[in-house]
Amino acid sequence: MEIEKFQYDNKIVRNFAYATMLWGIVGMLVGLFAALQLVWPVLNFELPYTTFGRLRPLHTNAVIFAFVGNGIFMGVYYSLQRLLKARMFSDFLSKIHFWGWQLIIVLAAVTLVLGKTTGKEYAELEWPIDILITLIWVVFGWNMIGTIVRRRERHLYVAIWFYIATFVTVAVLHIVNSVEIPVSFWKSYSWYAGVQDALVQWWYGHNAVAFFLTTPYLGLMYYFMPKAANRPVYSYRLSIIHFWALIFLYIWAGPHHLLYTAVPDWAQSLGVAFSIMLIAPSWGGMINGLLTLRGAWDKVRDDVVLKFMVVAVTAYGMATFEGPMLSIKSVNAISHFTDWTIAHVHVGALGWNGFLTFGILYWLIPRMFRTKLYSSKLANMHFWIGTLGIILYAVPLYWAGVMQSLMWKEFTPEGQLKWQFLDTVTKMMPYYLGRAIGGTLYLTGALIMVFNLIKTIKQGDFLANEDAEAAPLVGAYKAHGTDHWHRWIERKPVQFMVLSLVVILIGGAIEIVPTFLIKSNIPTISSVKPYTPLELQGRDIYVREGCYVCHSQMVRPFRNETARYGEYSKAGEFVYDHPFQWGSKRTGPDLARVGGKYPDSWHYNHMMDPTSMSPGSIMPTYPWLLEDQIDVSSTVAKIKAMQRLGVPYPEGYSQIAAADMQKQAEQIAANLKKDGIETLPDREIVAMIAYLQKLGRDIKAAPKEEVAKLTN
Amino acid sequence: MKGKILTLLCMTSLPLLSIAGTTDAATSDSYFSNALFNTLLVVIILLAVMVITVSRALKNIVSSDFFLEKMKKDKEQANNKANKVAGLLIVFSLLSVTAFSQAAPVAAVKAVASDRIGGIDQFTFYTLVVTIFLELVTLFLLFSTFKNILGASKAKAETPEVAAKPLVQSLFDKMNYTTELEDEGSILLDHDYDGIKELDNNLPPWWKYGFYLTIIVAFIYLVNFHITKTSPLQGEEYKLSMKKAEADIAEYMKTSANNVDETSVKVLTDATEVGKGKEIFLTTCSPCHGKFGEGTVGPNLTDDYWIHGGGIVDIFKTIKYGWPEKGMKSWKEDFSPIQIQQVASFIRTLKGTNPPKPKDKQGDLYVEGPAPAPSDSTAIKKDSVSVTVTAPTVAK
Repeated sequence: MEIEKFQYDNKIVRNFAYATMLWGIVGMLVGLFAALQLVWPVLNFELPYTTFGRLRPLHTNAVIFAFVGNGIFMGVYYSLQRLLKARMFSDFLSKIHFWGWQLIIVLAAVTLVLGKTTGKEYAELEWPIDILITLIWVVFGWNMIGTIVRRRERHLYVAIWFYIATFVTVAVLHIVNSVEIPVSFWKSYSWYAGVQDALVQWWYGHNAVAFFLTTPYLGLMYYFMPKAANRPVYSYRLSIIHFWALIFLYIWAGPHHLLYTAVPDWAQSLGVAFSIMLIAPSWGGMINGLLTLRGAWDKVRDDVVLKFMVVAVTAYGMATFEGPMLSIKSVNAISHFTDWTIAHVHVGALGWNGFLTFGILYWLIPRMFRTKLYSSKLANMHFWIGTLGIILYAVPLYWAGVMQSLMWKEFTPEGQLKWQFLDTVTKMMPYYLGRAIGGTLYLTGALIMVFNLIKTIKQGDFLANEDAEAAPLVGAYKAHGTDHWHRWIERKPVQFMVLSLVVILIGGAIEIVPTFLIKSNIPTISSVKPYTPLELQGRDIYVREGCYVCHSQMVRPFRNETARYGEYSKAGEFVYDHPFQWGSKRTGPDLARVGGKYPDSWHYNHMMDPTSMSPGSIMPTYPWLLEDQIDVSSTVAKIKAMQRLGVPYPEGYSQIAAADMQKQAEQIAANLKKDGIETLPDREIVAMIAYLQKLGRDIKAAPKEEVAKLTN
Repeated sequence: MKGKILTLLCMTSLPLLSIAGTTDAATSDSYFSNALFNTLLVVIILLAVMVITVSRALKNIVSSDFFLEKMKKDKEQANNKANKVAGLLIVFSLLSVTAFSQAAPVAAVKAVASDRIGGIDQFTFYTLVVTIFLELVTLFLLFSTFKNILGASKAKAETPEVAAKPLVQSLFDKMNYTTELEDEGSILLDHDYDGIKELDNNLPPWWKYGFYLTIIVAFIYLVNFHITKTSPLQGEEYKLSMKKAEADIAEYMKTSANNVDETSVKVLTDATEVGKGKEIFLTTCSPCHGKFGEGTVGPNLTDDYWIHGGGIVDIFKTIKYGWPEKGMKSWKEDFSPIQIQQVASFIRTLKGTNPPKPKDKQGDLYVEGPAPAPSDSTAIKKDSVSVTVTAPTVAK
């Protein structure tokens, strides 16, 4: 058989590596800045573009999709070519993929800062960018599948299984969750509402963790760890079992983000049960990684690459054990809405994703540049600073999370809440500062790495096209002796892809479809009315400013929450919420029942300067709401879009909506005037007040028997 | 020994059958026309026949000369085995009996529930299914006993005696079983991906059994919440917690002096008490009512005009229950009755302090008057006595 000569494309790998470093630093910087804003609210600068509500989504998107995203592509483009003994299918597609992805990131950064957001966590980007993401993702898939088809290696290695599952699942998740109806070029409404939106969103959100932060990185681990350690993978059988179990079970666990909410009980319980079953498949990856180092632990002591990888895999194991624990209802009752969750995800992000990326970079760059690492001393320093950073980041937040939760739940023996919400916030300050110090250390480590790698690149000589040779695949496969049964599907990429698609569709379909089809899952409430045009405009401002980042709108059925906020939330209250705004973190109090709690003037003063109404508050100021005019011209399009989504405004209502809006705005302006506040009725603050005053009011007007029935 | 096994076997299977029989008779005799019920019943009977047949065969073997011959060879080991089996069966039968003795009273309750599976009420259905499951387990145990007894002498003779390890140690070894590093070559697969090779190690036993365990736990979780409904779902859980809290508070209040309400509230004049009220006022009330009670978002508290009345009882009630439609929230979940009394008493001291930038008067002129209801009379009288003397403490 003739041996074919070909070349691996290193240039695309290098480009993704550069992007990984750049966006990594940017993402961490924004994160650190947001962390400091919690300690010193003055850092919000009284500017719309720099408030926490806009920077936090920028941070999460930058770290997940820019840093880790580019990290995935860097590792996949390097390993895929070598595992398949083939150059990437098309250099042109590689280029489109690279520049397309960077364009998405820049667009994301600009639009998020400008307040163009869908208001759905980790899926904030507006519809034009969503479409662009879909196209670029298809380019990535096309390029990958093309390479697989032209491979010179008969069987697909476990890393590629993970890449395929990633490609398929992320496509499904992104498309389903992003179904939205455009109102204008930079504004859309989620097609789903309330409980359904929540289920779809957290099916997406949870599996973004699973199939963007976990499976592709497991694939990278399966390539780079045995390479760096020069050891065989511990157990082929374990790879098979944990791969299939992981992708099947992961998809089901989404509802564990919605425990004790208005989501139907059965969906919550499925989320819990499948999260528990997820422990072993997740750990399968960790074990197979760590046991691969059997016989090579002496190398770990000296090799900084392996050090990073060992900590990464260990952090992965910790986070994936903690995850199922947090899914248990009684633990979740404490952890949810607190900084515990933030600590948990950062063990995963800083430990697993961050450290594995660093390890791969330290391994890859010297190889591609045919040189040695500039300074292994600096790399070691990075390792220790980074590890310390993770610990200093996580520990204060674990402490803070548990402490705040317990304070929320504490009653005096007479039966009163012991702490005002604000008391529990001011107690967080030292911990937030501690977290920021941890983050600073971690960022410092990353900067040291960038310096070290730039020096390495400068002293090296880049090999853009690496020569390789292999025999082509000719004729049908003939097994030598008996093969493991799984070898069959490893030879059949198309069947592999179809099977993984089927496996991941099952859980999602069983949990989501019934909430659309079976009415009893979302019992309606007769008094819940659609938002008035002014309230709708106010709600869009609420979404634009990212209020959901710090405020939940979901009173859970706990004594302390009903005492603090009022009657617990019911599924029927959210039927007109496109998108839902339940939130996932309470840096500020829940707002589901804030309507009617304070006078209009309180909200006016509070938006202008939160500390005037709540001394000690760390909420940013929103002075521009007092100045800026409501975008009245959008009202018609918004009402029409809502009508198309099934919100029952009377026919032709869009034409009289403006008049209704004016009337309600004048009413609020008059209320404010009574308390000595002069404002024009066309200012954004008026819409915001209208929306806040609407929250939770409808259910109070519901007939008593109806509410009683819902409470059963 | 042999007799024991047989009796135990009968003990395990018979109670099941009899219970299954009684429940269906008790609930409804029309079950005999239900296809699912009949199918399950037939399966149960068939399995029961198998159990009896196999156990008889086992009894025959055990008492046969052939077996006695073998027994002599390695008496000890076989005895151990048989003992183990017997032990297992004892545990097993006890389990099944206790399980059903617990289930029986539940049946009466559950029969009311209208949830039916294939036309059979839930309890009967699960009884039948569990019976089938237990019969299958029994059969499995019987067969494995068979295998063990027949193979008892074969294997044991050859294996050399290994020094017995302590139980914990051997369990630990078992759970961590792996091919030794030196023998790795024997399990190296012929896979080679860019130089990466793969070993064919077993799944780590602790991992595998851990996985099974989580699956069982998850299954039990779902059954617990949604089938047997043993644990409360969130709505029920909430109601229970509220009831418990109510009872706890009532219990505490019995012994507590902190039991002020609108029928017993009175103006406090003690400086420390009023000081505590002032403290709460400054942190909680002043954002809306001003530092000096001059009124900002909320009304002026220093003039003679009150929207909801200016007597101690009125103020107490306003704080306690709020006037939510006017933007005054209820504070009863935040402050104890005593604390509300302290704040109300402090507010009474603000009257006539003429702070800077007072808000315009709102509401009606309030004049201290006689009590509207006899139950309040004592409190009100005390009001009018104490109110004039207190000096304004909030100035500056």
